[in-house]
Amino acid sequence: MVKAYKQEHVYKHPWERVSAASWRKFADPENKRILSHILEVDTLNRKLDTETGKLHTTRALTIHAPGPWFLHRIIGQDICHCVESTVVDGKSRSMQLTTKNISLQKFIEVEERIRYDPHPENPSAWTVCSQETSIRIKPLSALASMAEKVEQKCAEKFMQNSVKGREVMERICKYMEAESAPI
Amino acid sequence: MGLLKKKESTSAHSSTSPCADLRNAYHNCFNKWYSEKFVKGQWDKEECVAEWKKYRGCLSEHLDGKLLTRILEVDGELIPTKQADSTGSS
Repeated sequence: MVKAYKQEHVYKHPWERVSAASWRKFADPENKRILSHILEVDTLNRKLDTETGKLHTTRALTIHAPGPWFLHRIIGQDICHCVESTVVDGKSRSMQLTTKNISLQKFIEVEERIRYDPHPENPSAWTVCSQETSIRIKPLSALASMAEKVEQKCAEKFMQNSVKGREVMERICKYMEAESAPI
Repeated sequence: MGLLKKKESTSAHSSTSPCADLRNAYHNCFNKWYSEKFVKGQWDKEECVAEWKKYRGCLSEHLDGKLLTRILEVDGELIPTKQADSTGSS
C-alpha cells in the first residue's frame, strides 16, 4: 500500500531567499511554536564542492509524532527520527531535499521530496516549490485492517504540517525581504 | 530524548541538547554565509569552519552511535537523488 501526494506552491520571492528560508525553517525560535512537531534539527554532515558550487547536507530531524492510541501502544514511542539529505546547486539555482524516517521503519515508510526551482515565467523573482510525499504502511497482519485508516490519518497530518511549513516559509521570506531592503 | 544519549531524564524536549549553543552558533554562521555569499556565487571557500568543528565535536561526544550509523546508512540510500546531475557525462 503506497500513497503519494503531490503539492505545488509558488513563492513570490527569488530562489536565493526561498532556499535560505528553507534552511531557517526549523531553527527559528519564532517558528518553533508553529512547527512544534519538530523537536531537534542537527546538521551531521556538510560538503561544499568549491569547483561546482554544489552543497550537500545531511541533517537529522527529531519529530514528535503522536499517533492514535493503538499505534502508540504497539510502537511504544512517539518520537521519530528522520534523515534529510539536501543538495543545493548554486550554479543552476536548484535545491532538492529528501527526507525519510529511520524510526518505525518496520511499520511505516514516509519519504518526502521537495524541490525549489526558479519559476519558469519569472525566474529572477519567483520560486516554485514542488513537494511529493509517499507513505507506505507495512502490511502487518495485526494492523492490516487499520492500516488504511492510519495511512489516511498520516496523510492528513502531513498535509496540515506542510501547510504550516509553507506559512512559516512565507513569513521568513518576508522577514528576509524587509531585512535586505535598502533603507 | 532526541538524538542524544539519555543521561538524565530532563523533562522538556526541544533544547535539552547539550550542543544547543554550539549548534545555534554554527547555524547562524552558516545561514549568514549561505545568503550573503553562497547564493551570490561565492562558493570558492568553506566558511564557519571553527564553529563547525566545535559543534561536530560536541555531537560526536553526545550522539547515540547506533542511531548515527542508521542515519548515515539511510543517507547513503538517499544520495542517489543525484540522478538530477546532468554533468559528468564523459
